Amino acid sequence: MSGIKLTRRGFLKATGIVGGGLLIGYVATPNTNSPPLVPADGALAPNAFLQLTADNQLIFYSPRDEMGQGVYMGLTTLVAEELDVPVQNIDVQFAAVHDDYKHPEYGVQGTGGSSSIRVHFLPLRQVAANTRQLLLNAAAQDLGVARDSLTTEIGHIISKGVHYPYSDFIATAETLELPVETPLKPAAEFKYIGREMPRNDALAKSTGTAAYGVDVDLPDMHYGMVKRSPVAGAKVLSFDATAARTMPGITDIVQIDSGIAVVSESFWKAKKALATIQVTWHQPELANISTAQIKADYQAALDSGKGDTKGEGSIEEGLQGAAKEVERSFWTPYLAHTPMEPMNAVVRITQGKAELWAGTQGPSFAQGLVARHANVDVENVTVHSLFSGGGFGRRAQLSHIVEATQVAVATNKTIKLIWTREDDVRNGWYRQASMMKIHAGVDNNGLVTAWDTVRVGGDLTPHTVAGLLPGAMSKSPEIINDILVGAVESIFDGWVIDGGGVEGLVDDYDFPNKHLLHISVNHGLPLAAWRSVGHSFTAFAKETVMDELAEQAGLDSIEFRKRNLQGNPRLLGALEAMEEELKTWNIPQSHHIGISSHGSFHSYVAQAAEVSVENNKIRVHRVLCSIDCGLVVNPDIVRGQVEGAIMYGLTAALYGNIELENGAVKESNFHDYKVLRINEAPLVKVVIVESEEAPTGVGEPGLPPIAPAVANAVYGATGVRLSSMPLSLA
Amino acid sequence: MIEFTLNGQPVHSNDEPDTPLLWVVRDSFKLTGSKFGCGIAQCGACTMHVDGRAQRTCVLPIAAVAGKAVTTIEGLGTPEDLHPLQQAWAEQGVPQCGYCQSGQIMSAASLLSENPNPSESEVESAMAGNICRCGCYPRIKNAILTVAEQGQAGGVQVAIPLASSGSEGVKS
Repeated sequence: MSGIKLTRRGFLKATGIVGGGLLIGYVATPNTNSPPLVPADGALAPNAFLQLTADNQLIFYSPRDEMGQGVYMGLTTLVAEELDVPVQNIDVQFAAVHDDYKHPEYGVQGTGGSSSIRVHFLPLRQVAANTRQLLLNAAAQDLGVARDSLTTEIGHIISKGVHYPYSDFIATAETLELPVETPLKPAAEFKYIGREMPRNDALAKSTGTAAYGVDVDLPDMHYGMVKRSPVAGAKVLSFDATAARTMPGITDIVQIDSGIAVVSESFWKAKKALATIQVTWHQPELANISTAQIKADYQAALDSGKGDTKGEGSIEEGLQGAAKEVERSFWTPYLAHTPMEPMNAVVRITQGKAELWAGTQGPSFAQGLVARHANVDVENVTVHSLFSGGGFGRRAQLSHIVEATQVAVATNKTIKLIWTREDDVRNGWYRQASMMKIHAGVDNNGLVTAWDTVRVGGDLTPHTVAGLLPGAMSKSPEIINDILVGAVESIFDGWVIDGGGVEGLVDDYDFPNKHLLHISVNHGLPLAAWRSVGHSFTAFAKETVMDELAEQAGLDSIEFRKRNLQGNPRLLGALEAMEEELKTWNIPQSHHIGISSHGSFHSYVAQAAEVSVENNKIRVHRVLCSIDCGLVVNPDIVRGQVEGAIMYGLTAALYGNIELENGAVKESNFHDYKVLRINEAPLVKVVIVESEEAPTGVGEPGLPPIAPAVANAVYGATGVRLSSMPLSLA
Repeated sequence: MIEFTLNGQPVHSNDEPDTPLLWVVRDSFKLTGSKFGCGIAQCGACTMHVDGRAQRTCVLPIAAVAGKAVTTIEGLGTPEDLHPLQQAWAEQGVPQCGYCQSGQIMSAASLLSENPNPSESEVESAMAGNICRCGCYPRIKNAILTVAEQGQAGGVQVAIPLASSGSEGVKS
C-alpha cells in the first residue's frame, strides 16, 4: 500500500475527540509529512501506529522510547487490549520520527516526565479500537453477516464458530472508511490491562539479544572518541596529536566544537591514541569555580533574600498563629545520571541524506541536530531508535549526537561515537545543585500555619533550550539560537520561577500561608532533568521539616501528616495504605522507621524506611512504599519502577555527589562516584492503591520520598537531623 | 595471533594483544550481548566466563585468554534454549533497561556452578560487583535463589554459531 493511498483516504483525522482536553493536539494524520511507516506488500496500515501484514502479524510502532521504564510493554498492552491481540503476538518497533508520533502534551517526539501511559492511555486505545472496528466492518461485508454477529479473539474474527485471521479482511478494509469514534472497552472487560504479565522485552534482555545503540554495527563503520575539556564550555586553543597520528589504526584526528576527535578502525585503538593527545583550552569562567565557591555564592544569595516570589496568605500571620516554629537550611549537590549504557551514536551521511542510530529520549531533536550539523534537510534524516541502556533524563540531552555528526562530516566516514564512563561522569549534564531553606510554624492542633521557603540554584530550562533548540530549528543561525537562549536565561533571572527547581517545595499539604522565594544562581555547569527533577531535592527539604514539625507538635509523624493532608485525599489515601501495611511489620529494636509522603507526576506516594545506624554507617533494611497512580496497566512494571526509583534515590541519598574543582568534575567512574550495589539494597514492598482514576506516572514518583524517609529514620536512631545530601553522620 | 575457544568453537584473533577481551568479542566476533559499562572492572556489565569463572573482560587483555575457553551470554543460552537463570530472569520480569543483565546473569551462573545452594548473603557478595542503575537488585536476588531452590543451575554451555562470517571469526 502506498503513501498516496494513505493520503487519499485521509484516515484518522483526529483521535483526540474522546476524553476532552487531554487529547487536544494528538492528531494522527498522514498528511503532515511523508508517511511514518512503509507498509509491506498486502499489509494494512490504517494509521501511524499499526500495521497488519498479510500473514496476520500485527506490528505496533511505539511513539515513545524504551529506557527501562516499560513503555515497550505498557503501550503495547493498550493496543493489545482494544485490538484483541495478545501482547506476546505483537511485534513492537520503535517509531521513526514523524509528526504523528509527537508527544501529545510536549508537541515534540520525546519520552520523559513519567507521562507515557498517562498521555497515551486513551489515544492509543482509540487508534486500536478504530482499527478493530474497521476489520469487523470489512468482515461483515465479506462474510455477508451482520456486524453485531461478529466477535474477536486472539487476532481472529469469529463468525458462526469459524475463526478468520484479521488479515483475511485487509483487501476489503482498504476500501472502507476508518471509524473514528469507536467506543472503548469498559474496564470490566479488560483482558490485558491490569493483569500480571511479564514484560515483552524481558527475554531479549536476558539473552543478550536486545539491540542498544552501542550494538549497532555497519560495514563501513569507524569508531570515534573525543577528548573534551575537563571544564564544560572550554574551547580548543591548540592541540598536539603528533604521537596519536603515528599510532596503528588511526585514520583521522579532527577538531570539533567540543574537542579533538580520534577516529580509528577499533574502539581500543582510538582510546589508546586519545590518551596521547595534548590540548590547550580557552577556559570559561567556570574554570575558577569550585564546590566551596558555589556553596558560598548560594549562601550569599540566600542571605540577600532577593529573587522571584510567589505565595498565598501571609507568612507573618501564619507564624503569629504558630505554637512552635522550625527553621532549617538544606544542601543538595550536583548529580550525574550514570545510566549503564554510556552515551553513543552512529551517524552515516551519504549524498544529502543522513541516518542516525541511537537510543534517546528525544528522537525529533536528534533528527534536527543531525540535520543541522550534517547540513541536510531534516526530512532527509532517518532516525533509527534502539533500546536505551537507561535514561533517567540523561538521554534527553544529545551533545554526543552533535559530536558524532560533526566527526562524520569532518572525516567523510560512518562514525560510531562512544563515550567512556569517565566522559559520562565528567563531561555530561547534571542534576542542579540547590540550597534550600524552610521556615515553618505549627499550631497546638498540629496544623501547619506557615510554610516559608527559599530555593537557590541553577535554572534547568535554559540548558534544556540551549541543548535542544538547535535541533528544533535545524536551519536557524547560531546567533539566533544564542539570542533565544539568552532570552530564556533572563526570563528566569528576575521574572519567572523555573518549575524544575522548585516543584514540590510548597505543595501536597494544606498550607494556608505559604511562600516561595527563588533565587537563580547559575555557574555554567550544564544541567539536565534527573529522574524526578526538582522533586528529587525539594521532597528532602519538605519532608524533613514536616517530620521536625510533627515532633514539635508532639504528634506521630504519620498522624501529623494526615492532619495536614485533608485537602489532598489521594496522598492521604496513599499514606493510610502505607500505614495499614506498616502495622503488620515487625521492626527489630535496633531499627528505626522514617516516614515521608510526596506527590509528583500526578501520582501520590508514601514511604517508610527501616534503618539502622552502626558506627555512623546508615543501613537501609526495608522500604515500604504505597503508590496511587490511578488505574494500573501493568502491576509488575509499577512495582518494578517503584523499586528502581527507590534504589536510584538511595544512591543519591547515601552517595551521590558531583563536586567541582577549578570548574572540573572531580569524580570519574563508579569507584569514586559510588552507586548502590546489591549488598546494600533494601527489601522493598510496594502497595498499589486501587484506583479507577486515569493512569498517572510511575517512573519517577517513587524516588522523591526515599531520601527524607531515610533521613527521618536516622533522626530516630541518632537524634541528628541531617540536612545535606548525601546523608552522612561522619 | 591469539587462539582461544569462544562459546565452544576454536577461534583466533589478530587484534593487538592488549585489546580487552570485551572489545574483541563485541567488535571482531560481533557478539554484542556483553556490554561496556565502566572500562575499569567496577560495574560487571562486561562479565563473561573464562574457563568457567566470571571475569571482567573490559580489563582482561586478549593475550590472557590464549588457550582458554571463553563463554558469553550468547553461549550460555539462547531465546530458543534458555539457561535456567535466563528463564527465571524473563519470567520474573527482572530486566528494566536490560543493559547490565548479561553481566548479571553471567556472574550468577558462575556463582551457581561453584555454589549451587547459596545463601542470601552469599548471593549478595557474589553479585556485588555487578551494578544495575535501574535498581533491579531485589529481583536479581530472587531469581538466583529461585533457580538455586529448583536445583537446576546446570553447568551446560551451549555452542552456538558465531554471528560473524566464517567459523574462524577473524576480522578481515
